Amino acid sequence: MTLFLTFTVLGLVLGAVYAIAASGLVLTYNTSGIFNFAHGAQAMIGAFLYYQLQVVWGVPALLSVLVLLLVVGPLMGFLLHRFIMGGLRDTADVTKIVVTVAILLGFVSLSHWAWDPQEARMTKMFFGVDSYVTVGGVVVRYHEIICLLAAAAIAIGLRLLFTRSRVGVLMRATVDDPDLLRLNGHDPERIAATAWALGSTLAVLAGILITPVAGGALEANALTLLVIDAFAAALFGRLRSIPRTFVGAIVLGLASTYLVAYAPSEWSWVTNLRDALPMIILFIVLLVLPQDRLRGAAVRTRERYEVPTVRRAAVWAGVMVLATVAFRQLIDDSSVGTLVLGLSFAIMALSLTLLTGYAGELNLAPVSFGAIATIVAFHSGIEGEGLDARMNVVGLALGVLAAALTGALVALPALRLRGLYLALATLAFGGLVSSMVLRETQERSWFGQDLALFPNGNLIVSPLAVGPLDLGDQTTFLYTASAVFAVLGVGVVALRNSGYGRRLAAMKDSPAAAAMLGQRLPLLKLSVFMISTGMAGLGGVFMSMALSSVTADHFVYTLSLSLVMLTVVGGIGYVSGALVGGLLAGGGFALIVGSFNELSIEHPVHAETFGVLSHLFLVLTALIGIGVGDNPSGNMHAIFRGQRVLARAPEVRYAALALTTVLYALAYTEVIGTWTFSLLVLVLWLALPAIGTALRAEKILPPEAVAARRATPLELVGIDTPYPPLLAEHLDRELGLPARHRATVPAPPVADATARTTTGPVAGEEAQHVPV
Amino acid sequence: MSPSETVLETTGVVVRFGGNTAVDDVGIDIRAAGVTGLIGPNGAGKTTLYNCITGMQRPDAGRVVFDGQDVTGLAPGARARRGMARTFQRLELFLSLSVRDNLRVAGDIVRANTRRKLDVEAETDRVLELTGLTDVAHLDVSDIPTGRARVVEVARALMTRPRLLLLDEPASGQTEQETEKFAAMLRALADDGLAICLVEHDLPLVMGLCSRIHVLDHGVLIASGTPAEVQASPAVIEAYIGAEVVA
Repeated sequence: MTLFLTFTVLGLVLGAVYAIAASGLVLTYNTSGIFNFAHGAQAMIGAFLYYQLQVVWGVPALLSVLVLLLVVGPLMGFLLHRFIMGGLRDTADVTKIVVTVAILLGFVSLSHWAWDPQEARMTKMFFGVDSYVTVGGVVVRYHEIICLLAAAAIAIGLRLLFTRSRVGVLMRATVDDPDLLRLNGHDPERIAATAWALGSTLAVLAGILITPVAGGALEANALTLLVIDAFAAALFGRLRSIPRTFVGAIVLGLASTYLVAYAPSEWSWVTNLRDALPMIILFIVLLVLPQDRLRGAAVRTRERYEVPTVRRAAVWAGVMVLATVAFRQLIDDSSVGTLVLGLSFAIMALSLTLLTGYAGELNLAPVSFGAIATIVAFHSGIEGEGLDARMNVVGLALGVLAAALTGALVALPALRLRGLYLALATLAFGGLVSSMVLRETQERSWFGQDLALFPNGNLIVSPLAVGPLDLGDQTTFLYTASAVFAVLGVGVVALRNSGYGRRLAAMKDSPAAAAMLGQRLPLLKLSVFMISTGMAGLGGVFMSMALSSVTADHFVYTLSLSLVMLTVVGGIGYVSGALVGGLLAGGGFALIVGSFNELSIEHPVHAETFGVLSHLFLVLTALIGIGVGDNPSGNMHAIFRGQRVLARAPEVRYAALALTTVLYALAYTEVIGTWTFSLLVLVLWLALPAIGTALRAEKILPPEAVAARRATPLELVGIDTPYPPLLAEHLDRELGLPARHRATVPAPPVADATARTTTGPVAGEEAQHVPV
Repeated sequence: MSPSETVLETTGVVVRFGGNTAVDDVGIDIRAAGVTGLIGPNGAGKTTLYNCITGMQRPDAGRVVFDGQDVTGLAPGARARRGMARTFQRLELFLSLSVRDNLRVAGDIVRANTRRKLDVEAETDRVLELTGLTDVAHLDVSDIPTGRARVVEVARALMTRPRLLLLDEPASGQTEQETEKFAAMLRALADDGLAICLVEHDLPLVMGLCSRIHVLDHGVLIASGTPAEVQASPAVIEAYIGAEVVA
C-alpha cells in the first residue's frame, strides 16, 4: 500500500510538471495559431540557465527562480513573438511549424555550445532531498509539494484568466478573428505577445521543476522532447481545453510511474517503454479523438510553387547526372563519400517534396523511417562475409517496403485529423524509434526467432550489389545515387503532373472542396504518406550504406528536423529544393563542421576560434530556418524567378556556360582548386540575372524600366541635368502642394538659391504649406 | 425522370450551436428538373442547412434523404459520390491549379473514387464550353475576378455529373451581365433534368429563376411555395420588411 501511495505521489508530481508545460503550449497555440515545437527547447534553456545561476554562480535558489520567471521567461517569449512569430501571418502551417522547428534546433545548438554535452550536470531539488514531510508512511519532499502547488495555482490562474479577465477573453478572440479585434480598437499583436511571454514562462518553470523530479543529469535532447509529453497531455483537451489538459497530464504522470513500479522485473525493456510512454499514449489518444469537422479553409497563403513539365524535369535530371560525373573528376576519393551522403539525404528530402510540397502534409521524422528500412535491409539482405559482404536488392526492396508499411501504421491514427496531428505523430514516432527500437541491442525472442534488432548498437551496412553493379566502389556508388535521385525526381514531377498529383494539390488547397467532389481524403493521404516514407526509407538505406557503419546517433531526431528545415529553406515544393536541402543536411554540414575540426587540429593555437565558428555555424543554420518566414516558398523559387528574366537574352546564358567550361578546364588541369571552382561557378550562376540585366538591359527589362534607367534620378536633377520649371510644378502636383506662382517670382541668382535651401526661407516655405 | 420527382428531402432537421438553435425543425424538398430557391435574411440558417445536406455538419436531430436513401450518417464524400455537388459561399477553389486543372481534377477525383468511366479531357472541354470559361481556362484561378471564379466553382461541380447541385450565393461578386448569362445557364441545366438549389440574396434572380422557394428566418421555415405564393405570404413580408423589397 505504501508502495502504491509513494508511486501515486510521484506520478502526481510528474503529472503536475507535464501539466505546467502543456498549459503553456495550449496557451500559445490558442492565441497565435502557432504550434510551438520549440516549447520543450525553451524549457531546456530554462533548466540550463537555472543550473548556471544556482549551481555555477551560486545565486540563491529563490532569487534564481525569480530571475528566470520574471525576467528570462517573459523576455524570451516577447522576443520570439516580436521578431519571429509575429511575421508568420498568412503562411502555410508547414512554414509555421518549420520556423518553430528551426528555433528548437537553434536552442539545442546554443545549449551544446554554452554547456558541453559531455559533462554531467545535476540540479538539486528545492530545499534539498532531505526536506520532506511524511503522510501515511509516504515521503513527500518539499520540492514535490512545490510542483503540485504550482500546477494547482496555474490551473486556477489560467481558468480565471480565460473566463474572467479581459485579457483572457481577448486572447481567445485573437485566434478567432484578429482583424475583427483590430476593428474593435484592440491590438492583437500586443495580446499575442502577452500570451507568448506567459507561455514561455510556463515552459521555463516546467524546465526548472522537471529535472530533479525525473532524475538524472540535465540532458538537452531529452528536455527538448518534453514538447512531446506536453503535447500528449494537451491532446486530451484537443489542444484547447486547459482543464482536460491537466487531466491528461496527471494520467500521463501516473501511468509512467506505475509502469515502473509494477512491471515485472524480467521485462528489461520497461525503462525504454517508460521513455516511450508519452508517444504511445499520444497514438492512443489520436485514435480516439473525434474526426475534425471539414470546414472551408481555402485562404491564399504566401507560398507559391510552380510545376515544371516532365520533359523539363528529364532534361535537368540528365544535366544533374552529367554534372555529377564531371564534378567527380575534380574531387579526391575521400570527398566522394560526403557527396554520396549528401545525395542520400537528398533522396530523403525528395520524399518531403512529394509529401509536403505537393500534398501539404508533414513528416518530421524522415530519418527514423530510414532507420526502419536500414534495420530490415540489414537483417534480410546482407550476403557474404567481411569486406566481401554485399546487400542484395531483395533486402533493399524489403527495407523500402517496411518503411512504407510503418508509414501507414504511423499515419493511420492521424489520417482523419488535421495536418498538425500527423506532424506530431511522426515526431512521436521519431522519439519512439530512438527510445525503443534503436535500444534493442540485445537478443530477444521475436515470434520464436532470437534476434537483436540493433545488435550491439552498431550496424555494419554493406553496400548494394545488383548483378554487375557494385556499390562497393565509391565512384559507382556516387553515380548510382545521383541517377537514383534523378530518376526519382523525374518520377515525382511526373506524379505531380498526373491526375494523382492534381488530386494531391486539390487536397492541399481545399480539403472541403475535394471531399465535396467525392475524394476519399484519408485514402489519398495514406497513399501519399506511404510512397513518401518508402522513399525516405530508400534514402535512409543509401545513407547507411554510405556511412557503412551506423549507430543510434545517426538517426537522432534533430537530424530529421534539420533535414526538414533545410529542405523548406531550399524550397520544399521543388525537386531542386530537395537536392539543395539534402546536400546541405547530409554533406554540407559534415564537411563544414568537419573542416573546422581539422583546422583546429592543424592550428591548435586557434582551436578555440574554430570551435566557436563551427558552433556559430550551427546556430546560424537555425537562423536561416527562421528566415523561412520571410521567404516561405524557399530559395530555389527565388533563384528560378531570377533566372527567368534571362530567357530574353539567351546569349548571357551561353556566355556563362562557356565561362563555366573554361573554369572546369582550369580546375581539371589543377590550375585552380576545386573549392575555388565550386565557389566561382556558384557565384557566377547566382549573380547571372544581375550581370545579365546590367549588360543587356535593353533586351531584358521592359521598355519603361529601360527609359527610367536612362533618365536622371530625381535627386540628381539640377546637378547632372538642368532643373526645368515644369518639373517643379509636376512635383508640387504629385505632393499635393498648392500651386506656387513661380512665374511671377524672378529666378534668384545661383548663390542666393543655395542660401535659400539651407537657411531661413525654408521655415517660411514650410509655414506657407502647413495649412494644406 | 418525371419533373416533379423529389431528389432531396430533409425532415425535422435541427442544429444547435451551444444555446443557439441555428436550424429548427426544418423540412424542405428539392425536385429534379427545376431550380429551388432557399432564401432568408442573414443568419437565417441557410448555409448551416446546406452543411447538413452535404454532410459537413451533423444535425442534432432530423433526417436527410437523397434519392430515396437516408444519407444522414454519411460523410460528405460519400454523398458526393452518390451525385450531390455544391459550391461555397466563401470560394473554395484549388488556388495552386489553373482554371482548367480545377475542372480536370474534379474529373480525376470521379475516376479515382467511383466506378464511373469518364474521359476527363473531353468532359473538361465540354464543361468549359458550356460554362463559357474557355477564354480563361489557362489562367491561374487566383487571377480571375470573383464573378468568374464563382462560375469555375459551378463548372467544377458539374464535372462530377451531379443529380443535385447546391449553390451558395453564386451571384455575389458577379456583374449584372454575368448574372444574366449565369441564370440562362442554370435554366438550361435544369431543363436537362438537374435538380438545383439556390441560396441567394439577389431576389430578382431568385424570383425569376426558381419554380419553388423555401424561406428561412431565424432557423425556422416560414414559407414554401411558388414565387407568387411566397411573395404573398405575410410571414415572409414581415421577415423582409424594411430590409429588402420583394420584386
